[in-house]
Amino acid sequence: MADFQERRTLLGDDDECSFAGRPEARGPGRPMAAICDPSHLLHRVVVLVFMCFLGFGSYFCYDNPAALQTQVIQDLNLNTAKFMQLYAWYSWPNVILCFLGGFLIDRVFGIRLGTIIFSLFVCIGQVIFAAGAWGNRFWLMEVGRFVFGIGGESLAVAQNTYAVNWFKGKELNLVFGLQLSMARLGSTVNMNIMGWVYSEVASAVGSSGYTTLGISLMIAAGTCVFSLMCALVLGFLDKRAERILHKEQGKTGEVIKLTDVKDFSLALWLIFIICVFYYVAIFPFIGQGQVFFIEKFNFSPAQARAVNSIVYIISAPASPILGFIVDKTGRNVGWVLTAVIATLGAHMMLAFTFWNPWIAMSLLGLSYSLLACALWPMVAFVVPEHQLGTAYGFMQSIQNLGLAVIAIAVGLIVDLRGYLVLEVFFCACICIAMMAVVALYFVDYLKGGDLNRSAAARAKLQKETSPDSETKMQPSMMTQGEHARLAPMSAFGLRNRYLSRLGAQLPDHCSTHLSSLAHRSVLK
Amino acid sequence: MAVAVKAESGRVLGILLVFLFSSCQSLFSGGDSYKREVTMQLIPNPSSPPPGGELLHARAVGGNDTLHFLFCSQGAPSLLIVHTNSSSSTVKVNWPQFVNRSTSGGLTVEPESSILYSSAVVFSRLLEYDDENNTAEATSNFFPAYELKDFSWNLMNLSHPKALLCGSAPHSSNGSLCLQLSVFGTEGRAELWPRLLHSANSSQVEVWLSGLLPRSNTSRFMLELQAVGGAYPLSKVDVRQFIDDEYAPSIFKVSQWVSSVNNSSDVLGFIQWKPVAYRRSRPSLEDATPCRHSDPQAQSGNATTASSALVKAFYTDPKVMGMNVSFGIAGDPFYNRTMFLSWTMLVGVGSPPVDSFSPMVIGILMAGLGIPIVLLLVGGVYVFIRKMRESSETSYQPIN
Repeated sequence: MADFQERRTLLGDDDECSFAGRPEARGPGRPMAAICDPSHLLHRVVVLVFMCFLGFGSYFCYDNPAALQTQVIQDLNLNTAKFMQLYAWYSWPNVILCFLGGFLIDRVFGIRLGTIIFSLFVCIGQVIFAAGAWGNRFWLMEVGRFVFGIGGESLAVAQNTYAVNWFKGKELNLVFGLQLSMARLGSTVNMNIMGWVYSEVASAVGSSGYTTLGISLMIAAGTCVFSLMCALVLGFLDKRAERILHKEQGKTGEVIKLTDVKDFSLALWLIFIICVFYYVAIFPFIGQGQVFFIEKFNFSPAQARAVNSIVYIISAPASPILGFIVDKTGRNVGWVLTAVIATLGAHMMLAFTFWNPWIAMSLLGLSYSLLACALWPMVAFVVPEHQLGTAYGFMQSIQNLGLAVIAIAVGLIVDLRGYLVLEVFFCACICIAMMAVVALYFVDYLKGGDLNRSAAARAKLQKETSPDSETKMQPSMMTQGEHARLAPMSAFGLRNRYLSRLGAQLPDHCSTHLSSLAHRSVLK
Repeated sequence: MAVAVKAESGRVLGILLVFLFSSCQSLFSGGDSYKREVTMQLIPNPSSPPPGGELLHARAVGGNDTLHFLFCSQGAPSLLIVHTNSSSSTVKVNWPQFVNRSTSGGLTVEPESSILYSSAVVFSRLLEYDDENNTAEATSNFFPAYELKDFSWNLMNLSHPKALLCGSAPHSSNGSLCLQLSVFGTEGRAELWPRLLHSANSSQVEVWLSGLLPRSNTSRFMLELQAVGGAYPLSKVDVRQFIDDEYAPSIFKVSQWVSSVNNSSDVLGFIQWKPVAYRRSRPSLEDATPCRHSDPQAQSGNATTASSALVKAFYTDPKVMGMNVSFGIAGDPFYNRTMFLSWTMLVGVGSPPVDSFSPMVIGILMAGLGIPIVLLLVGGVYVFIRKMRESSETSYQPIN
């Protein structure tokens, strides 16, 4: 909270500075203070602060239900199935919006207005959600989560677009890394602080109940308001920078053509299957993990929230490190298989042992980070560049569809069959992902083994085929699909480009505008 | 990579084998195929309607032994189990002596030499306390306890193989406390949660409190149980962790109150329950409320024989252990939210049944782990064959 205060004062200071800077900007001859000069690093650092806090509210509030699971269930007299609907309703709008987010930002609203609108959606969604709890109206809470979902994912795209726009070139990887850490920080702080907020409100109000829950969620909505303010300031600063530097408004560069779907290769479909069945065993599990740890391992609610958030905490430092390792060694399919097997092991531990869940959850955090580093870049290998936007949009869309459906299924399973069957269900999902990985390995092997080549072999191939990549500049008779297969050079570049989504440290020249396509689900 | 894949598949195969083994084990050992023929009847009482309560006799005849279940509503409701090594043993009741309650011997099992083990459980008191601070620590604030021997018990309602006994507090028509006894001929589970696994050697008693007006808005309840035995009463409560909660979601423990000979591992008889009660008659996860139990303590036999006619009639020198089961933990909704509480336990002879994974769980795991391995093997063989063929076809080497 002290942190917020600090940021707020920072924000105030900056506003003054910016307003002071405006008349100065009109006078072309006068030099500006470094902090007000859009081309100066110091100014960009200030922008970065707002950029990071832009997503804080939505990340903080996304896991509000998980952090307050026992309270939500008890105060509103819900069962687990209804509770998990809160997560499903977040995912539903994003089945469509994954295709539209980039389009809306580029063509309809522009980055500034788009960001403000998405922030507003997040804000209003959370307020509706809290109001629903306050009035003990569950349907209103679902509406709130739906509205929140409309804003949340697209806001992540907007945030990345801003980052690319302001930091194209040198600092971009660091900026992505920071944004990623901020996302993790939001989730972690939420997990560990909301229980305390609730109990404080309860002692202030005099009793626990849905009123207390509503007030707690309203307080959480404060983070969204704060993020909205960041969006407004960012919009102002961006406009100002545009005027002073005569630069263009940022674009996501996302191009989505649904007809491309028919060209998707078998390998890509297998990657989709891995993506869907892997992530459904992570996020819905975290969504209802708190009660699981309390019931099975006799954890206190605070302990349960802490162990539930360890996945986020671990992935913050692990993502760049693992990303680096994957980048240096190659062999993505092998890494994905390792990650899937480790995750299976973690879920099996949770299902069939009473071992301390810190072990299993830490393993889950590591393997989940590893999978993100190894899986997402693979898409760039099997899809030609002009179809990448569609491929990623499609991947995120079906991922959200999977999350929504599985969230509902998870609630029903817990209510009817309990946690063992739930864990077995998650194991089954991971096993399906594992089958897809094995199939992917063979499909790729028969095609020549692009995906599982070691980094050294890739570098060698790249050297050998560099004349090819020059011919690619000229109009070619070959189709783009053949190109992608024959020209590993471009695939290599693209892979690096997408690694940057995950906050991995990359050579500076490898990041491009396309990185801004990342949605929340990728960043997590 | 091939080596890595092999090593990984080896590891997975190891896990699979362990599962295969454990599932087979559970399939064979868990399947208690012992069967009994169950008959249930009220022991006729010459004076009708019977003064003070009825006596139900359920006979479960096995191959070479018999279990007698006697369920009595004279005084506090009591259940007596007598295990005999003869399939023709009988129960004799001397009604005047039984009703009189002055001396023991009103109920005998003949031949007496055939008795292997006997045990009784008496539902003696229902305690209510005012949990103002919502801590669920029953230390003070007790209301006067409901003595179940003073309840007015209705006639038993028999529907083979179940018997239902309901009663209400004296001078009150509001609400009731009901006990439903089920006697089983085979292994199985009840329809409703907690779906305890029972064998032919156990009976199930479901206790529920319905509509009884609480004496405060923050009332919680406790049930006092007394276990009565001859030489070896039920002495200690084991709480076992169990990873399978599919029959009672979110409950990962099972408590068993066992009697053993000089602390050896042989268990003569048991009362088993899952530490959960339900606040509605259709149990569901959101209406589950955890239960806790106190440590069993030795109690005077005289008080028990005074409250239960059945114990007085059968035992000459009963050893009694008492224990409380309290419903609800701190923060749980109070009784007045639903005005209903139900709790289920098994009473039986021999070792308590041990639960095992359901075939569904085993099946999913087998398929989930098996298919990727099969896929790996088939794919590996295919790729290998293809490679062999390719290498035999291409007989030239690149120059550089």
